Amino acid sequence: MNDVAPDKSIVFEDVSKFYGEVLGVNRVNLSIPPGITSLVGPNGSGKTTLMNLMTGLVEPTRGRISVLGLSPRQPEQLFRQVGYCTQYDSFPRGLTGYQFVYSYLRLFGCGHAKANELAVQAIDRVSLGEAAQRSIASYSKGMRQRIKLAQAICHNPAVLVLDEPLNGLDPLIRAETIALFRALAEQGLHLIISSHVLHEVDVISDEVVLLSNGYVVAEGEIRGVRDEIQEHPMQILIRCNKPGALASQVFLEDYVVEARLHRDGMGLLVKTRDADRFYLLLNRIAQNGIDIESVAPADDDVLSVYEYLIGTEEPAK
Amino acid sequence: MAVHKRSYCGYAGQLTPLWSRFWIVTRYAFKNVFQWKLLTAFFVICFFFPLLCAVGIYVSHSTPLWAMFARLHFDVDAGFFFHFLRVQGSMAFILTALVGPGLVSPDLANSALPLYFCRPLSRAAYVVGKMLVLASLLSLITWVPGLLLFLIQSCLAGGSWMGANLWLAASIFLGSAIEILVFCVLALALSAWIKRKLAAGAALLAVFFFGAGFAEAVNAVLGTKKGALLDLARLIGTVEAHLFRQPWRSPISGGSAWIALLAVSGFCLWLLARKVRAYEVVGG
Repeated sequence: MNDVAPDKSIVFEDVSKFYGEVLGVNRVNLSIPPGITSLVGPNGSGKTTLMNLMTGLVEPTRGRISVLGLSPRQPEQLFRQVGYCTQYDSFPRGLTGYQFVYSYLRLFGCGHAKANELAVQAIDRVSLGEAAQRSIASYSKGMRQRIKLAQAICHNPAVLVLDEPLNGLDPLIRAETIALFRALAEQGLHLIISSHVLHEVDVISDEVVLLSNGYVVAEGEIRGVRDEIQEHPMQILIRCNKPGALASQVFLEDYVVEARLHRDGMGLLVKTRDADRFYLLLNRIAQNGIDIESVAPADDDVLSVYEYLIGTEEPAK
Repeated sequence: MAVHKRSYCGYAGQLTPLWSRFWIVTRYAFKNVFQWKLLTAFFVICFFFPLLCAVGIYVSHSTPLWAMFARLHFDVDAGFFFHFLRVQGSMAFILTALVGPGLVSPDLANSALPLYFCRPLSRAAYVVGKMLVLASLLSLITWVPGLLLFLIQSCLAGGSWMGANLWLAASIFLGSAIEILVFCVLALALSAWIKRKLAAGAALLAVFFFGAGFAEAVNAVLGTKKGALLDLARLIGTVEAHLFRQPWRSPISGGSAWIALLAVSGFCLWLLARKVRAYEVVGG
């Protein structure tokens, strides 16, 4: 995926995990750099298994894993660097939001004063300060997601492993949470996120890892992954004042396989086997009287890539 | 690839020793236990009999009082401590049925185990932390008051009595310890395998009460007496009778009962190890 030094990335080398006869993941080779990396795949594709492997909660059947140069078999060192947020509502009974974060900081090894300070900081970062002293049982789904996130970030880890962290968040909090992810990534943290919400994965991710049935089917920057899928023509949406005229011109080229008027009549959707030559063609057309407002790839999002690679087995949207 | 300048500052402060962190689990579990007022009330009731025994020991050493209660004449000897432990053992069992099921099952039902283990806390530390809750409560109503009674009797009867009966102190401790071990691991194993607290409590009662019936059925069907090895209550009674050198009608020897109880404990620990994991295997 990249050339980052092993002690600054998360490395999977030929990793397989079988639960008895059930395949978790198979022959995974990955190197995850700092920034936001999304694991995308349908249920049972191996996303949570990959997360459990990198946090040492599950031992690989075969292969080697290294997280910033540390083995998951060194939990005391590893978990000083890693914060983990499960996809489940996993709260010991009867705790308030503050107690939840505070108690895990005590388990982490902080003394009372430091645990108190870090808990308050983390809760404030997820905007739950006012609800901190309320029982988690009374929290909404979104608040539970945020308090889990506070628990994961409270000890300032270098690697955050977040399983479905955006589930249940309302649009405003979702935007705030994504902004928090971006801020953390910009500080140089590794954020490993699994998600079914594909358009958000597309927006927030620096890199994606597409999984299907325990195998990594594609990895890298989403546009890079899209470029490598040669057998599927790239779709490009051109917003212009004369889409009909544009269609007649582009259809003359052999690398254009389809041109379709957009339903609002103000754009043209083109499928091409050679995007680079098509963009050059557009430059020439733009100089010949057609006013082109915008040009944007229409299928280099995760959903399209996923459909191309895995077909009908797409994740929930 | 996005380029990010590494500017975050991870936690680099002092940490408490890893071995001591199971106390956090214990402390929070204690807090949960005593939120239930019924349990607190029952725990207080568990001290009535030890208090009564203490009064009895005092009376037995007071000539005027002893004369007043002549009809209740008893000796403070191995039989006294054996019966003390039998009564307190029954209370310990009820306490286990009340406390035990709520220790692990809520964490499993809420999938909270991965959060414990990635702090990091080892599976053994988690089990020890939870077990300590039950073990300390059971200790407070079994061997702790038992040894206090032994000390009271020693003070009142003199050093010679203490010297001659020191083995009783060891019996009180060992008898309580095996009982506590079996109750703890059984309760935790059932709590881990049965996610519903009420069902786990019922299963604990069933293991003891139906175990006796099952043991009799095995004896009747197979024409053997070894079915008694399946009756946990009888096994504990046999071990305690053996320790206190008391007559006890049992078809199995004290040694066999010890081995059977340790085997049951080992099996329960194996069950716990199978269930107390960060993930759950879904069969395909």
